[in-house]
Amino acid sequence: MSDVTQASVVPRRQQSAAAGPAVPARDHGRILRQLLWGVILVLCVAPFMLVFVISLGHKIEGASWELGFSFENYRRVFVGANWPEEITYLYLQKLYYSLYYALIAAVLAVVTAFPFTYLLTGLSRRAQAAWLVFLLSSLSLSEVFIVMGWDVLLSNRSGLPMVFKETGLTQWLKDVGWFGQLREWGLANPRNIKFKTSVLATVLTMAYLVWPYAVILLYPPLSRLDRTLTEAARTMGAGPWTVMRSVVLPSLRLPIFGSVLLLFVFLLGVYVAVTVFAEPAKQTMAVSVYEAVRGNTLNAPFGAAQAVVLLITAALFLVAGQWLSRRGS
Amino acid sequence: MTRLNRRTLLKSAGSAAAASTLLASPLIAQSRSLKIGSYGGYFENSFKEYIYPAFAEATGITVQSVTQPNSNDWLVTMQQATSAGKVPADLSLYGRQTMIKASRIGGLLKPLDLSAMPATANMGADYLFADKTGTIGVGAMAWFTAMVINPDEVTAPDSWADFWDSANFEASLGLSKNYNAGMLDFIAATFFDGEATFANRDGIVAMIEKASELKPNVALWWSAESQMEQAMKNGDVIGGQYYLDVANLMKADGFPIQPIFPKEGNLQDYGSWCLSALSEKSGEAAEFINFSSDPATQALMSRKIGTAPLVPQSKTDLTDEEFSAVSGAPVIFPAYEAYLDNETFIKESWDKMLAGA
Repeated sequence: MSDVTQASVVPRRQQSAAAGPAVPARDHGRILRQLLWGVILVLCVAPFMLVFVISLGHKIEGASWELGFSFENYRRVFVGANWPEEITYLYLQKLYYSLYYALIAAVLAVVTAFPFTYLLTGLSRRAQAAWLVFLLSSLSLSEVFIVMGWDVLLSNRSGLPMVFKETGLTQWLKDVGWFGQLREWGLANPRNIKFKTSVLATVLTMAYLVWPYAVILLYPPLSRLDRTLTEAARTMGAGPWTVMRSVVLPSLRLPIFGSVLLLFVFLLGVYVAVTVFAEPAKQTMAVSVYEAVRGNTLNAPFGAAQAVVLLITAALFLVAGQWLSRRGS
Repeated sequence: MTRLNRRTLLKSAGSAAAASTLLASPLIAQSRSLKIGSYGGYFENSFKEYIYPAFAEATGITVQSVTQPNSNDWLVTMQQATSAGKVPADLSLYGRQTMIKASRIGGLLKPLDLSAMPATANMGADYLFADKTGTIGVGAMAWFTAMVINPDEVTAPDSWADFWDSANFEASLGLSKNYNAGMLDFIAATFFDGEATFANRDGIVAMIEKASELKPNVALWWSAESQMEQAMKNGDVIGGQYYLDVANLMKADGFPIQPIFPKEGNLQDYGSWCLSALSEKSGEAAEFINFSSDPATQALMSRKIGTAPLVPQSKTDLTDEEFSAVSGAPVIFPAYEAYLDNETFIKESWDKMLAGA
């Protein structure tokens, strides 16, 4: 009986080769592990290698590109195409804005999600579940949809600027003379307040985009937080702010830091929000990658080189984060 | 009994649709079909609604419409599809620059037999593009990138130079973010010697410097057509560059937009029908291109899609009013070759100007 079951489990080819004793459980484990490695290799390493190989390719002016072996595309990322006659940090500036937006938006998302999640964990189980389901379902909204919503919200005739104008706030700002300052900051044209394009709109939308993730990342550590500690602190006379500062925040330092890091890396690749809300002078490397690969120039090698640089930057931040958190713990 | 799930439902709906076309079309037309690509949205819908049915009526060839995002993306798609051995469309629309690029890449397009399409004789020779393999593109329709303004907010400028005037246009213009979308051609025509200015790098640098003076007046550097459409409708911008056909459609819908032909002119570009190298439908494609080149079809496209005809107005039955809604003068042609020969230099210099780097 047991022979029959074993025979049906073992694939036919192995049966004839091994003919008799069943494969030990340890070998199954090994095969499974090898299979897993195979999957990782195919799904993660192969695409990356492909991008890397393309990044060494060569652009043919006025046509497409060919495979090659040169690091000229990487050189262009750092000093521009016309080096050495002329040097430009155009692409490093784009990289800077990638980091800038991602960092501010990640911090903003975590800072605002933290008190929310803290209060959430104090609610009844039922209310917690309802909130979490609501937040999870909001993740199904695509970036395009969210950006569209904010676009309407910030538009001159349908959004906040209209509210400013209709309520007389715009006129008031003009009367007290602050309007000129807003114009200098690029947040107004001669007629009204404007939020597009601005760093403010870009960062807000990006923070909004990852806000549910921030809550979901902070929820487990906050709900595991030992409430007896805070209660003990309260009974010993500490005010709520002191408890937050001296008990809650220190014990959650690592999850908070980890959440910021994860959202930061995630936000490095944001495309739609940046193309819609950021002026070209402040656009990111992700946009530049797309433009190189699918835009007018069809320069996939240069796009690939920028993608590799962006990836290495993200990896460096992750490694540094790991190192910092190990030192901190 | 199979359970009805989404997939089987789709399948049965598909076979029902197939059955109905089988019943509706005469048997002889069954093997005669053609896949044609065109830019998605309103443009493609107009083709499906007006042009393809008229073609099917005239020739018995049914057209399967394929959506192209634009010329550039489509070239990448076709390039990959060609090397994979199976292409999504027989005929597609290529902008002139993309067509030249496809020709330089090679192996993507099949030469066309002009003798099988006598109606192409109506068209200017400029619109028949040949490379060393033969004629690979025949003009389909032209479109203008024009100056537009919001007539409720500003009076009509009579020159592109007026856009540099911050008194009227501070943080108020919507211009294309693409280096080859026309602003450089307008600058060449307005302040320099036209296309000749593109001949060397000094000329290009001087034009880009001129463009950088516009930056304080630009509220939106648009990359997608819909961005500019929304910005004009919302009043986020009160002027800029935009497609003449869409501007006229928006105007007809009551939005505050007015296309203008300034004294230097507007940019005219055109799309060509190109046949994929892997297509086996040369015969059907020739019939379609012949149909498309006919002055009657050119006029139909002008009326229904808003594109400019590639045949003289005198050969069509378009009234002066209809013609001026889709075309105008003077015409500026893009510096096609220069954009291609110096593409890395122009793109990077333009992007540097935008980024202030």
